Amino acid sequence: MSLLSLENVSKRYGDGRRERVVLSDVSLQLDAGELAAVWGLRRSGRSTLLHVAAGIEAPDTGVVRFLGRDLARHRDEALGGGIGYCQQTFRAGEARTAREHVTLALLARGVVSPEARSRASAALERTGATSCASLPPAQLDGAEAVRVALARTLALRPQLLVVDEPAKGVDLLARDEILTLLRSLADDGIAVLASTGEATGLSGADRALSLGDGELHESPARHLAPVVPLRRAAG
Amino acid sequence: MQSPVNWALLGLVIERPSYAYELAQRFDRVYEGALSLSSTSHVYTALGTLQYRDLVEEVAGTRRGRQPRPRYRATTRGVSEYRDWLVGQFRDNRRRQRLFVLQLGSLTHDPDAALEMVARFEEACLEEAAKTPIGPPGGTSAEKDTNLVGRLLAEDSRLAVGARLAWVQYARRELVALTNSRRARA
Repeated sequence: MSLLSLENVSKRYGDGRRERVVLSDVSLQLDAGELAAVWGLRRSGRSTLLHVAAGIEAPDTGVVRFLGRDLARHRDEALGGGIGYCQQTFRAGEARTAREHVTLALLARGVVSPEARSRASAALERTGATSCASLPPAQLDGAEAVRVALARTLALRPQLLVVDEPAKGVDLLARDEILTLLRSLADDGIAVLASTGEATGLSGADRALSLGDGELHESPARHLAPVVPLRRAAG
Repeated sequence: MQSPVNWALLGLVIERPSYAYELAQRFDRVYEGALSLSSTSHVYTALGTLQYRDLVEEVAGTRRGRQPRPRYRATTRGVSEYRDWLVGQFRDNRRRQRLFVLQLGSLTHDPDAALEMVARFEEACLEEAAKTPIGPPGGTSAEKDTNLVGRLLAEDSRLAVGARLAWVQYARRELVALTNSRRARA
């Protein structure tokens, strides 16, 4: 049984002449420890695919299963529990620092304060964001914002991490470090499903997929890309 | 001069003047999987050709002793011709890509076959994209220098694959539209 399974999923927006098929009979399986990256042009539906995979949006037809259970029926327990969704836009809300931003997500889930702080620190260290933990969210650069957003999601200890365009807005020279981080999270046993608008985001993926006109295409063989170990000191 | 091995060797001499055996070892290390020497002696033949064409020259005074190891360095002409050749390579790549599209054109009488070819081309692109290594800059300045070539290579590959994947989407749409219009006419 796959950790995540999309079975003949379809999704449309609009109706009549304005109807747009975003996902057409899409099937995908993802196992623990796999990194799958989906490439697509703008408006190809890659964010919709991620929303459907994370249980944020329900498909029109087809089934999405997480740990064998239909996400349509168990959405609330899965999202934020076993499934972590990391959105493209960084919204810090009322948090005064990056650390607080991560801690608040845990407190909102009912984690008690001392444990929430400890888990937030561990997650920030895991994503290499310790050095910017005390900064106000507005002062984070692109790569730091992605690291903090990932820390916030990881602090909830997901089995599946769904990340929308992790390298978008990240400086070219810092981009590979983010991709290496995602690769290392998959190597730790987390299933990672990421979207990308640039082929760069496919580097290091076990499975590279493309999405266009609602159809999902995949390379025939699964590969483990050679990865240079992350040298950046955590923190 | 047509031989890519000769040009690659000239590049290594430009990078760092050296003697034949060291150049052969560096050649294997740098061009592993992309170009190969038929044997170590191949490097002597290639250096002879480069010297004959006045692209490299022996460094004076390195042919002394019982076991002389003449060192080679690039001439001004060698550096200049190497740069021109590099630019020419870009045109060659474009020509190969154009050739692929033109040859695919011969399948447009059978759009389904062309679509299958496009799908296989896309699979190859996705495979290449996933295999492209990722890695941050090295720690020491020497490592950074070494990794720089690798990173430039990886970025070149990623950008090329990105453009091809976008082309695949376009080609697929055109071929599907062609199929639909033929069905409508039939």
